[in-house]
Amino acid sequence: MSDPLAVRPAIRLNAGTQEKPVLFPRRKSRINGRSVAVLVFLAMAAAFYCVPLYVLVVTSFKTMEQIRQGAIFALPTEWTWEPWNFAWNEACSGITCEGLKVGFWNSVKILIPSLIASISLSAVTGYALALWNVRWAGTFLFILFMAAFVPFQIIMFPLIQLTVHMGIYGSLWAVAFIHTVMTMPIVTLIFRNYYKDIPDELIKAAMIDSGSFWRIFGEIILPMSANILIVVLIMQITHIWNDYLIGVTFGGPGGQPMTVNLANLVTVSTGTVSYNANMAAALLTAIPPLVIYFVLGKFFVQGISAGAIKG
Amino acid sequence: MRYRLNRLAPQLALTPAVIITLVAFIGAIAWTVYVSFTRSRRLPEAAIDFSRPFRQYERLFQDNAWSISLTNLIVLALGSALAIVFGFILAAMIERERRGEDFFRTVFLYPLAVSLIVTGVAWRWIFNPDLGLQNFMHGLGFTGVHFNWLAEGETAMYAVIIASVWQSSGFYLALMLAGLKGINEEIWNAARLDGVSLMRVYIEIIIPMMKFTFLTCAILLSLGVIKAYDIIVAMTNGGPGQSTWVPAYFTINAMTQRGNLGYASAAATMMLLITLAVFLPLVLLTAWQQRLVRKEVA
Repeated sequence: MSDPLAVRPAIRLNAGTQEKPVLFPRRKSRINGRSVAVLVFLAMAAAFYCVPLYVLVVTSFKTMEQIRQGAIFALPTEWTWEPWNFAWNEACSGITCEGLKVGFWNSVKILIPSLIASISLSAVTGYALALWNVRWAGTFLFILFMAAFVPFQIIMFPLIQLTVHMGIYGSLWAVAFIHTVMTMPIVTLIFRNYYKDIPDELIKAAMIDSGSFWRIFGEIILPMSANILIVVLIMQITHIWNDYLIGVTFGGPGGQPMTVNLANLVTVSTGTVSYNANMAAALLTAIPPLVIYFVLGKFFVQGISAGAIKG
Repeated sequence: MRYRLNRLAPQLALTPAVIITLVAFIGAIAWTVYVSFTRSRRLPEAAIDFSRPFRQYERLFQDNAWSISLTNLIVLALGSALAIVFGFILAAMIERERRGEDFFRTVFLYPLAVSLIVTGVAWRWIFNPDLGLQNFMHGLGFTGVHFNWLAEGETAMYAVIIASVWQSSGFYLALMLAGLKGINEEIWNAARLDGVSLMRVYIEIIIPMMKFTFLTCAILLSLGVIKAYDIIVAMTNGGPGQSTWVPAYFTINAMTQRGNLGYASAAATMMLLITLAVFLPLVLLTAWQQRLVRKEVA
């Protein structure tokens, strides 16, 4: 009973995604007319979904001369990396002209502390709520459930004041802090929902064994959490990386994440608009989460079901 | 001694989360609601003006920009509902067909991984009147078509909806796919044996069975629409004029552009009330669902 691996099969992230034994194999051996029609439709829909990405990619490699000729869907006649270089190193955002690399590193600096703080805080909170007898646990869970849906606008100004008092407003730390605060409810609920399925017997046995809250967490719970940790990690990375509102509100001029950098860069209107550099900038911003998505898509999908929490 | 430590440690571990909840959520909401009854301008004022405590709300309801925002909220919600419809249709096709499931799911979900600011850049480029889709169609000889949607007040919201549906339908697809996979295979076999047409199986059996999934999607969509801000900034920045304002945009505009804290707080409080109006059904739905599950078990 003390072997944590023994209970692993009992723990499922979401009952809906769980594979059930297939009694009647669905895959048909031959392709029939309906299959062809469905596949053609799906392929067309897939093509439509790819259009914005395709347009971004081809435009980012074109020269401005070719862009001015129209033909938005045409491939570049002459492939050039120049827009990418310009977007990364030279493009102007506001008054500074140092390109998107500034925003990129800001986003990285925001991401790391937010991830550490939000995941450790929420995992411990979720663990305490799921497996320990704490007073008011039900009420607290309900409040967290509501807090997960609160519009940012209603708490925005008090949070600005809070960070001003803490002396971090207008810095990367403020953005990281607010991300931790804003995502705490939903991430806690996800951890709690995951941990609550751990059998009582295991915890009781562990209580007799060592009995310490932190030792049970470190020695039993954490080793069982690899799957949920990856899911939450991916969810948080994409969420925090893609955020605009918190970054623009709390970052100040020196602490703007990449999305804010990008938004400023594409609205700068001095001289002619370099569409190719704008598209390269958009792609540069999109690449980190996209890479994670294409490599670890399975966990990304699990995060969606876990985030759409019920109860 | 050890027993007491045991009792204490979990409570201690919860303290940071409890403090965050009390200060950053409950306290902050109470503060904003309170400020909405004051005459605060750029800085918060402590005193409630009891002669006309609802002055901010009175102004709000007479403000044309606010009624535009509310109308747009409804338009955006109805338009974005297409994402649920597409999500279900695509999920049903993927689930029945099975071939290429991973590929199609990957393609339909990738927009979710991308920032809305990036979405805005891509779609604004497609809607560019001189060099975008319109130009392309004119080049093909369809000179009558018109895709300069973002420049016109009547159509700008539709462009926002298209970008929003493109971005979010993958989310509903994932939820629908999970729901569809939970349906017992026997139902399909029974229907096949009875010779019931596929369409009728979906309309009469599958969709009613998935009512919880649909309701959850609808509520999550509404909650998401109320929060919609980034997509507006990225696509139109509220323009042309005020034609694509939504409450989330209105509130932040009142705070940062007009510098009117009391007014912004009143708008934020209205946003909270709208959220609660949507949220209540979610709570009831969850309770109902749990009761049904318990009944089935019993």
